[in-house]
Amino acid sequence: MPQIIMRTLAEIPAGTTVTVSHLDSHPDTCNRLREFGFCENATIRCVSNGSSQLICEVCNTRVGLNYTTANAIVVLPSHE
Amino acid sequence: MKSTVPSPVINTIALIGNPNCGKTTLFNSLTGLRHKVGNYPGVTVEKKEGTVSLGTRDVTIVDLPGTYSLSANSPDEQIVSDVLFGRIPGTLIPDLVIFVADATNLERNLYLLSQIIDLTIPVVVALNMIDRIKDAGIDINTTMLRQEFGVMFIPMVASKGVGTDLLIAALDKVSLNKSAIRQWSVPEPVKVEHEELVSMLVAIEKMPEPAAFHEAQLLLSLSGPIESNLRSLTVETLSHIKMDHHNLQKLGVNRHSVFVESRYRWINSVYKKSVTHNIARRRQTFHDSIDAVLTHRIWGFVIFFALMAVMFQTIFTWANYPMELIGFGFDFLASRVSHIIPEGDLQNLIANGIIGGVGAVVTFLPQIIFLFLFLGLLEDTGYMSRAAFIMDRVMSKVGLHGKSFIPLLSSFACAIPGIMATRTIENPRDRLVTILVAPLMSCSARLPVFSLLIASFVPNILVFGYFSLPAIILISMYLLGLIAALTTARILKSTILKGPTPAFIMELPPYRIPTLRNTLIHMWERSVLFLKNAGTIILGVSIILWFLATYPKLEHGTSSQKLAHSFVGRAGHAIEPVLKPLGFDWKIGIGIISSLLQREVFVGTLGTIYNIEHADEANTSLKEQMQKDKDPVSGTSSFTLLTAICIMVYYVLAMQCMSTIAVVRRETNGWKWPAFQFAYMTLLAYVGTLITYRMGLWILS
Repeated sequence: MPQIIMRTLAEIPAGTTVTVSHLDSHPDTCNRLREFGFCENATIRCVSNGSSQLICEVCNTRVGLNYTTANAIVVLPSHE
Repeated sequence: MKSTVPSPVINTIALIGNPNCGKTTLFNSLTGLRHKVGNYPGVTVEKKEGTVSLGTRDVTIVDLPGTYSLSANSPDEQIVSDVLFGRIPGTLIPDLVIFVADATNLERNLYLLSQIIDLTIPVVVALNMIDRIKDAGIDINTTMLRQEFGVMFIPMVASKGVGTDLLIAALDKVSLNKSAIRQWSVPEPVKVEHEELVSMLVAIEKMPEPAAFHEAQLLLSLSGPIESNLRSLTVETLSHIKMDHHNLQKLGVNRHSVFVESRYRWINSVYKKSVTHNIARRRQTFHDSIDAVLTHRIWGFVIFFALMAVMFQTIFTWANYPMELIGFGFDFLASRVSHIIPEGDLQNLIANGIIGGVGAVVTFLPQIIFLFLFLGLLEDTGYMSRAAFIMDRVMSKVGLHGKSFIPLLSSFACAIPGIMATRTIENPRDRLVTILVAPLMSCSARLPVFSLLIASFVPNILVFGYFSLPAIILISMYLLGLIAALTTARILKSTILKGPTPAFIMELPPYRIPTLRNTLIHMWERSVLFLKNAGTIILGVSIILWFLATYPKLEHGTSSQKLAHSFVGRAGHAIEPVLKPLGFDWKIGIGIISSLLQREVFVGTLGTIYNIEHADEANTSLKEQMQKDKDPVSGTSSFTLLTAICIMVYYVLAMQCMSTIAVVRRETNGWKWPAFQFAYMTLLAYVGTLITYRMGLWILS
C-alpha cells in the first residue's frame, strides 16, 4: 500500500492543490480556520509560499496566513 | 368567518454578510446615502441606519459589519450577534435579514447564511457581484439554492444598481408570518445533548428558542474553563454543560469541531448540486502573478515604500500650484477688506485675525485632497490588505499581527477611523496596543504643519536627481511616526500588555479597478470635513486668539512690543522656560498650546500672531514673516531649519487632538487609557524633541 504523506500547509509549494486532513491547534484557532473554509476535507490551492507566510485559495477566496497558523493545517495530496 | 388579524409589517431590515461582499454598497444603493465603501475586509465596523421605501412605507434598514460566523471573534463581529439576539438597548431585533453574498465565493458565504436561517428570521439573499461569475467560469442554479435553503436568492450587482428593484419587490413579498425553516440539522453524536441544553436554556435561562439553538452549539463546543467564560448562567445550567462535555469526551466526539464540520459538509453537498465551475483551475492566474510580486518578501517592501515615496512626492509637487492660488485668493481678500473697512479693530480682526488664521489652514486643502486620493486608491484596488499581509512580518516582531497594520495605515488619513478600524482585531490586548499607538502615525492634520515648516525652511534641492529634499523630509516624518508606533507597541507588548503573538489569518480581496465615483465621493467628504473644521474650530480659535493677541493694548511702541504686552504675549513668556530647552520661543509655545484641540490650529495660530505683529507690512506671506522673524534680545532668527525639524518631531510624537482622546475613551470604556496615552505621547514628544535639538546643535557646532 502506498504511504500517504501528511504535511502542514506551510510546507506546500506554490501552485500545489491539497486537501485538509485535520487541524492541529488550540480549539479557538481551529474554529476560526474552519470559519474561513479550512474545514476537514476542504480543497486548498497554494498561491505563493514565502519564507514565513503564504497565500492560498480556499472556497474560491484568497487568504493570507503566517507560518504559525499554516502549521496548524495538516494536509494531504489532493485528488483534484 | 375570515380572520381579521392584520399580517405583521416589516419595520426593521438588517444587512448581513461576510466582510467585503458589498453590504455597504447595497445599503447606499437602497437608501441613497453615501457611507464609505472599500475593497478590503473591515471597512464597516459599526452599525449604520437608513430608510428604504417599500411600497408606500419607509422601513429602517441597518447596515452591519461583515462577519464570517455568529460566533463573534472581534468587537465588530460582536455587533452582528448583539443585533440579531436583541442585546442592544433601543435596537429592535430585525424583522427581516437581507443576506448579502458574494456570488464569486459563495461556498464560504453559505456558512453564515445557514446560521442565520437557524435563527428562523425571514431571509432574502442578495446574490451580489453576479456580473463577475461568467469571467470566473461559475454557473449558479438559484432555483436549486432556493429549494435547498428555503429562501429567495436575488441575483444583483449592487455597485451598478442592477437587481435592486427585484430585491425590493422580493422584500415586499416576504411574509413575516412565515419564518425561515432550518434546513441543516444538528449532527447525530451531539443531537441529544444539544436538544437537552436548548430546552434548559429556554426553561431556566429564559432565552428565546432561536437564540438557545445557537447558544447551545457555542456552549457545547466551548474551550477553556466554563465558570470564567459563563458567569451569567445559573449553577444548574453550568453543571449540565460540564456533564455534557464529560459525556462527549467519553464518547470520543470532538465537540470543538463537530458542529462546524457537519454544517460545512451539508453546505458542501448543496453547493455541489447548485454551483458548477466550468473553467478548470489554471496553475497560475493573472492575480497570482500580481500577488507574487506585491507580496514578495523583498519586492513587496520595495514596492510599498516606493508607493509611499511617490505619494508624498506628488502631494508636495502637484498640490503646489492650487495652494499658491488659494493663498493668493486669501491675500486678495485681506487687501480688499483693508480697503473697504476703515482702519481700526474691526479691520484688524477680519483681515489679520480671521482671514490670516483661517486662510493659513485652508491653503493646505489641495494636499489633503491628494492624500485622500492616494489612500482611496490603495483601499479600492485591494492593495491595502496586501500591505497588511507583507507588514505582518514586521508587526510580528513587535508582538502584533498584520491586521493591526490596516488601522495604522488608515491613521495616515486620520486617527479616528484608524482607531475604529481596530474593532476587527480579535485579541483585546492587541486591539488596545494598536489603539494606543495609532495616533503616532502622521495624520492629515499634521500635513499643514509639516508643509508650512518644510516650505519655509527646507531648501528645494533635488536628491538622486528625482526626489526633492522637502519630500524626503516629509516622508522621514511619516517614517518617524511609524517607527515610534512600532517601538511603542513592542514595549507595551513586552511590559504592561504582555501576550503571545496572535495567529494571523486574513482575507485578501480580489484586485479591482477603483471606481471614479467612489474615489471622488471620498475625497469630497474629507475636503468638506476639513473646510468645516476650518470654518468652525479654527475660525473660533482665530477670533479668540486675535482678541488675546490685541488686548490689553499698548498705546505706543512697535507691533512686536504690542504683541508682547498682550495676554498672548504674557502667557507665552510665562511658558517659555519650559519650551526653551527645545529651542522654541514663546510664539511657538502659544501655537502648541492652542493646537491641543486640533493640530492644524498651530498654522492658524501662527497666521494670526504674525499677521498682528506684522500688520504694517502689507502682502507678506506667513512663510516670509516666519523667515524674517528675529529674537528681539539676541537678534538671531527665531526660526531655523533645526527649529522647524524640532517642531515637526514634536508634532509627530505629541497627542494634540481632543477628538482622538474622545474616541479612545469610547473604544476603551473609560478615561484610564486615553489619560495614559496623552501622558506617554506628551512625554515622548518632549524628550524626542529635546534629543533632536541637542543633537542638531552638536552637529552644527
